[in-house]
Amino acid sequence: MTVLVVAERTGGRLAAASLDAIAVGISLAGTTAAVVGFAAGPGARESASDLGQYGLARVLVADDPSLEGAPPCAGAASVAAAADRVGADTILIGGTTYGRDLVARLAVKWKASAANGVTEVTPADGALRIRRPVFGGRATETRTLAGPRRVLSVRPHAFPPPPSAPASPTVEPLARPEDPAPLLGPKRTGVEATAAGLGPSLGDASIVVSGGRGVRTAENFHLVEELAAALGAAVGASRAVTDAGWRPGSFQVGQTGRSVSPQLYIAVGISGAIQHLVGMVSSRVIVAINSDASAPIFRVADYGIVGDLFQIVPALTAEIRRVRSA
Amino acid sequence: MEIVVCVRPVPEAETRLRVAPNGQTLDADGVKFVLAGYDESAVEQALLLKEAVAGSTVHVVACGPAPRTEEVLRASLALGCDRATWVEAPAEFAADSIRAAGAIAAVVRSPLPDLLLCGKQGGDDESGLFSGALGEHLGLPDLNYVTDLRWDAGTSRFRFQRATEAGAERWEAPAPLVVGLQQAWNDPRTAKLPNILKSRKATVAKVHADPSVPPGAGQPEKFELPAPRTGAKLIEYKTPEEAAQKLVRILREEAKVLP
Repeated sequence: MTVLVVAERTGGRLAAASLDAIAVGISLAGTTAAVVGFAAGPGARESASDLGQYGLARVLVADDPSLEGAPPCAGAASVAAAADRVGADTILIGGTTYGRDLVARLAVKWKASAANGVTEVTPADGALRIRRPVFGGRATETRTLAGPRRVLSVRPHAFPPPPSAPASPTVEPLARPEDPAPLLGPKRTGVEATAAGLGPSLGDASIVVSGGRGVRTAENFHLVEELAAALGAAVGASRAVTDAGWRPGSFQVGQTGRSVSPQLYIAVGISGAIQHLVGMVSSRVIVAINSDASAPIFRVADYGIVGDLFQIVPALTAEIRRVRSA
Repeated sequence: MEIVVCVRPVPEAETRLRVAPNGQTLDADGVKFVLAGYDESAVEQALLLKEAVAGSTVHVVACGPAPRTEEVLRASLALGCDRATWVEAPAEFAADSIRAAGAIAAVVRSPLPDLLLCGKQGGDDESGLFSGALGEHLGLPDLNYVTDLRWDAGTSRFRFQRATEAGAERWEAPAPLVVGLQQAWNDPRTAKLPNILKSRKATVAKVHADPSVPPGAGQPEKFELPAPRTGAKLIEYKTPEEAAQKLVRILREEAKVLP
């Protein structure tokens, strides 16, 4: 089995989600020799040496300035060319917005069986068996991806990071294959770091602290943010909060917002409407803090504190800070 | 502007999920199918553009079995779409988003519309494969996780935002384009009763999905429901400080999610 791992770069380093893809690649191929890295766009050469930190001995680089500010689909032809060059049968990508979109393009372009957001991958008689949460984490499906080629994105945080095994990979430049010009028509003209400006982004964070209606006012929301800051967590919110304009829509966790699956999810003053639950119920450990003991959030939570959040949350923030500094 | 919006019937959000007797899929028996939430946003987006750009038409397309697929198409007509095409296919065909995108691409290919809209992912399998596969089938760029899509007549460009890990990205793109919509930023309208009654008699064009379109999302093997959560272990305490200390100790020593 030969695996091509696609490296994504965010904030001047390898995206955390790419490490998940590397970890799966190494576990599948059995030996790092069969795992090949691919990096494209600005910073691709830095990504190549970062991939070497995990033992990847060969990295293909598409150092193509036209991919700067281009849509994810514009890179699909380069990924397919890289996979063909190394004779890969499986392409793995981190399950980010970039990775998920690329998987869909490659499924058709590279004629591969595809799945997004997988949490388990095992070889099965020449095919791959994958598991992934569906229905917002309310169910899990297992599928068999038969055929000679597979392209997968890996759900963030679903796998332990790959062990460090520093190597100096050989870096091979990859010329951009002829792409139909229309794919380069869309242009990114700017980015406003929204929720990400306050800490790790919602999709990437291993801990998420979310506030709901129980916080009562926009001014009180700093209680949620201080707890998140103490934990190094991302900040989320229920729809009640974003509808009221206390925080922008980019904070929203739930059916009409973002789905998250961190290691730890702390729901502060959130009652637990089904629209919110489908966006966070696949989190590994859920903690609820709410004054209403009958709130539905306590039915999906692992641990609960029934009480006044205005007393509990500051005490919790102080305790986290105390433990962290000890 | 010619707009195609692709929708998909999914179980309504409150559905109590059950496993089918074969153990491989959701048991659809007795389940009520509706427009997915993301697809409602896509329909609303199409209608907003139609209202903003004179002479626009909205063509709604769905791939799937009777009766659920025809029902969501009629629901879309009741909301204000101009015409509907039902690409009839068995449920297992349509459940494969890559395959459904191939079958729909064959229907909308000529003449190519200016914009093809869909939800960012199915409200059921959340595969997130449809918009990219549709774009690749048609040779068009696709952008997913889009919000706030507008047409700028002055520059003949779509302008929109994308919600990504980096934050809110601003984009512009010429037509034709495939767009997957992130969320209900646009507060979808509800259908008025006279329009619902009219939609029941409206024409829904019907074509059969091309069975030679290859599958792409693999074979379902098992569909599982998690063991029911038994409810939260509630922390007993006398002071907020005691509650905080107990919770932090549990998260570090029992759940092992804090260092």
